[in-house]
Amino acid sequence: MKEKAYKKEILVTIVFIIFYMLMGHTASLFVLFPGLQGLGEMWGFPIHYIIPVLTGWFGMVIVAIFAAIVCNKLDDEIEAANRADEAASGKGGE
Amino acid sequence: MQPPQVYVITELWTAIIIVGGMFALFYLMGWIGLKQTTSTDDLYAAGFKVGALVNGLAMASTWASLATFLGVSALILKLQVPFVYLWLQWALSIPLITLLYGTSMRRMKAYTPCTFIKARYGNPSTIVIACWMILVMVMYALGQLIGLGQTFEILFAVKYETALIISGIVVIGYMVAGGMMGATYNAAFQMVVMTLTMIVPMGWVMKVMGSSGWWMPPLAYGDMVPSMLKMIPTFFDTKYDFRWYFSLIPAFTLGPVALPHLAARVFTSASLKSARWAVVWFLFFLGALFSGTYVVGFAGNFFQATTGIVIKKPDQITLILQLVYSPQWVAAFVLAGAIAAGVSTLNGNLMAIAALAGSDILGIIAPQMDAKKRLRIGFVVLAIGGLVAMILSFNPPTFLVTSILWAFGLLASTATPGILLGVWWKQANKYALLVSSTICGAMFIIISPHVIKSIVIGKGLPAALGMSGGLVTIPLSFSLFIILSIIFNKMGYAPSQEEKAVLDRIHGWNDYREDRYNGKVWPWVVAVVCLVISWWGLQPW
Repeated sequence: MKEKAYKKEILVTIVFIIFYMLMGHTASLFVLFPGLQGLGEMWGFPIHYIIPVLTGWFGMVIVAIFAAIVCNKLDDEIEAANRADEAASGKGGE
Repeated sequence: MQPPQVYVITELWTAIIIVGGMFALFYLMGWIGLKQTTSTDDLYAAGFKVGALVNGLAMASTWASLATFLGVSALILKLQVPFVYLWLQWALSIPLITLLYGTSMRRMKAYTPCTFIKARYGNPSTIVIACWMILVMVMYALGQLIGLGQTFEILFAVKYETALIISGIVVIGYMVAGGMMGATYNAAFQMVVMTLTMIVPMGWVMKVMGSSGWWMPPLAYGDMVPSMLKMIPTFFDTKYDFRWYFSLIPAFTLGPVALPHLAARVFTSASLKSARWAVVWFLFFLGALFSGTYVVGFAGNFFQATTGIVIKKPDQITLILQLVYSPQWVAAFVLAGAIAAGVSTLNGNLMAIAALAGSDILGIIAPQMDAKKRLRIGFVVLAIGGLVAMILSFNPPTFLVTSILWAFGLLASTATPGILLGVWWKQANKYALLVSSTICGAMFIIISPHVIKSIVIGKGLPAALGMSGGLVTIPLSFSLFIILSIIFNKMGYAPSQEEKAVLDRIHGWNDYREDRYNGKVWPWVVAVVCLVISWWGLQPW
């Protein structure tokens, strides 16, 4: 159970780093792939301007909500694994 | 339109009443905060009982300095949209701190990242990192002082040098009245003030400029875009190559990750779970404020293009727009917001210096010293740091953000690798940290254009802001740290069992397992990739 929770901790951290970085550095994608810059307008702004502004604000908020839910659940799993470990080894809690 | 020689508030007493009233509120909240401070936990971490919403606002307030309030729009005047892209990524700071090490250190009940450095790497490394952090905090404070000076210059119609001295007096008054790090509610209130004074008055400016989107300044100025493109066709151009944008990651995303006063906001949360929800509120409020600054930068360019006036002091554009387009009392509220941003961050910077010197360094050098005496010495170092920043601010760079952004690169070169690898890799070695931090920190300073002008990596603004230098020294610092750790460990200087056990404990495990956070392959992959990036940074800019 602990091994599973440990692997999940590593995976969750890597996945959320990637999502956060994508949200905060969306503009770099438009520079790396200049073809994306000609995709039109949104709310009167060029797409390569407004999309990074939106991902840098609301995109990050959404990632943070998922991160809070997933990481808080992971904390519960680690605590449950600790308790199960203590029970198996016959030790009491703190 | 003829440009005035200087932009100043003409209805001085209206402005003084509004700014003074606002400050009376800040002082009152600071004083109440001080009255409720009965323990060290209260002082440094608000008793570990701050809720997610208030803490999220306080996080945003701590982050949002005068660099945000005045400096962003100033550089958008020069760089236009690329600087918006540069600024956007700064919202990553607190989320990455929380995800990568904030919650782990919250488990330790650490007050600063140095608490962790001490437990993980021992005393010598802590002293080195704390010294770097103090230098960074002084450079950070320098930017705030320059911005405050320029704000008081407009308010009182005095010379910049006189305005600087007024700034110093206001900040000292604020700190004496109780504007401590623990006054979290004050910080949260200041964030509300900053956001409102940034966004609401811009609605007025946009309406006068003819935008139908005045009701939603941060996102509804799209109808001004065609006019802007007629006057400045290159406004939305990305302008720079991919390396310029990539360098934002080491220089600016990784630097603030180690900022002690930002990390402290994660540690002040009521619980780990609350800290993560505070990040959501932080991003929401900071996003609103950031987006407000982008519209100011846009409107500043629009103002210059339509009037033909060139703003001589770009850092004053936020205030100048209000003086030109809004009633004086509205401009006074914006001045109050700017002063709130500067004073609260400067207070945080100086308090961090006091904590680093009084708690982290003296706690090691003189552990037997009386706590009150240590506190007093901490405040002496704070005063010296403030004085140094004050002296440097008499000869300011063109943009106030220069010193702040440069400081982030220095922090990423010296402290970030030690913190991140220390939390995620058991083989991270204290001697390797000492060597890599010292070499790469010194190298970052030397190859910047601010010290030895003949030895500079890059040129122009990327060099001045530490982007080109950071692309060399920050990955090099990670790489050197990993390679030296492996070498020192093989030589018999491996981390002790106690030092390695810290990792399992702060990640929440109640037992120790050698194979956790002890990868063999990925450190080499990171080291090699970082070396390649560092070499990329050395290529001509």
